Amino acid sequence: MRPRVVPFGEGALLVELGDEFQENVVGWARGIADTWETDFAFGPAVPAYTSALLRFDPLRIAPTEAEKFARELLRRGEIATIVGDRSRRAIEVPTAYDGPDLAETAERSQLSVEQLVALHAGREYTCYFLGFLPGFAYCGRLDPRIVAPRLERPRERVPVGSVAVADGQTAVYPLVSPGGWRLIGRTELTMFDPAAAEPARIRAGDRVRFVPL
Amino acid sequence: MIRISESGARSTVQDRGRFGHLRSGVPPAGAADPFALAAANALVGNDADAAGIEIIGPPFRFTCDDSRVVAVAGRDVSLATRTRLPGWSSVFVRAGQIVTVHSGERTRFAYLAVSGGIATPVLLGSRATYLPAGLGAALRAGDTLPLGDSGSGAEDAGRHTEPAAYEGQVRAMAGPHDHRFEPDVVAQFFDATFVIDAASDRQGIRLGGVPIAPRAGELQSCGIIAGAVQVPRGGAPIVLLADHQTTGGYPVIATVIAADLGKVAQRVPGESLRFYRVERDEALDALRAERRALDGARISA
Repeated sequence: MRPRVVPFGEGALLVELGDEFQENVVGWARGIADTWETDFAFGPAVPAYTSALLRFDPLRIAPTEAEKFARELLRRGEIATIVGDRSRRAIEVPTAYDGPDLAETAERSQLSVEQLVALHAGREYTCYFLGFLPGFAYCGRLDPRIVAPRLERPRERVPVGSVAVADGQTAVYPLVSPGGWRLIGRTELTMFDPAAAEPARIRAGDRVRFVPL
Repeated sequence: MIRISESGARSTVQDRGRFGHLRSGVPPAGAADPFALAAANALVGNDADAAGIEIIGPPFRFTCDDSRVVAVAGRDVSLATRTRLPGWSSVFVRAGQIVTVHSGERTRFAYLAVSGGIATPVLLGSRATYLPAGLGAALRAGDTLPLGDSGSGAEDAGRHTEPAAYEGQVRAMAGPHDHRFEPDVVAQFFDATFVIDAASDRQGIRLGGVPIAPRAGELQSCGIIAGAVQVPRGGAPIVLLADHQTTGGYPVIATVIAADLGKVAQRVPGESLRFYRVERDEALDALRAERRALDGARISA
């Protein structure tokens, strides 16, 4: 897919950079969102794996004008890579590996539970972006030996603090919510605190490590 | 202070929404019917940023400690003091006077604005309540909420603005993922008459009646907005509302224009909904018309 800018309603644009996960594309999406919010100050932006949603007030900035600026951002090319970010912090997530899907995920991956835990806790992940729920940090990539497709039937109620895996990614559920990821553990760490100066524990770009209890 | 003696089924403080923490996954929240809240605010002389109360399942009953101008807006709503007063109009209430917000059978959300605005603490840049994350709380009988300074008085009562036309046809732009559906599926979507499902809430309105063939293959999650019409694998579309997740992995076949969001939000289960395809210019014209109506409500005495 060629990178492009498409309207999303009258007050937003979606910059699509590709179809598949690539670490440098994540950084690109984030760079576009940063420039839109900070340099242009047109409105909030939401970067994800391969895209950036750019919002603006269409009664203040003509959509065709906004599009021109978005295309200009595309032309500038890859202006940031997420792994090269100097503000990355190291976050440790103390984890009890006792999730309801632990044994099944190990079996599906043809690993013992101990091996699965060692693989999950044995690498440092990057938080690529936040979405889905307040403080829900998409971290990756999982060791490819961990086989974890999303659940066919998502749970209606995933407990707060559940450590989960799905499709090469890992995350902590910051709130009780429905969810389709596989639950392999849990943490007592508060992932979202509305009263904190920075409510989300993990920031995009942070390095994340799960420490077995 | 405003003192709440009956709180309806679920009432929350809402404003235009919280847009500063989308990147931390915090939904915008805010009024599900943004035009109704904006109209109520305009009628009592408040800024567009002021917070009001979104009421689900009235009656909602309250008094204010000092005299205020109040207005209620929404679908089939009215106010009562000693007499019944129409919605979409400003009303002067004296200190301690009991006021009741009433609704009809087809009211999903009613919006109460009080001159000066609801002055609860600003959390993450907004007063909008988002219950799942503990941003604000559901209002209960016995609650008292602070009010801002009111610049309006008895002379500001009796303003009226035309209620929104809560009809079952809403305007929508195709996309952003329309090209990922078969062309005849997009045409079918704009031809279909959907039925509002009972499992609808502030997060989204679920549509039954006509399944839409979802596209094959996976889509990477992307940032999404209120009005987006997602098509999950089961084929029953969801129109996202104020409490929507910040990112979503389902393809978005169309996006309801901002001016018609409230019409979607106010449909009750069992009612029908159709989408009429428009281009962006028409969406902008509708937004400008809405702005003019709000300006009119603010200055006409």
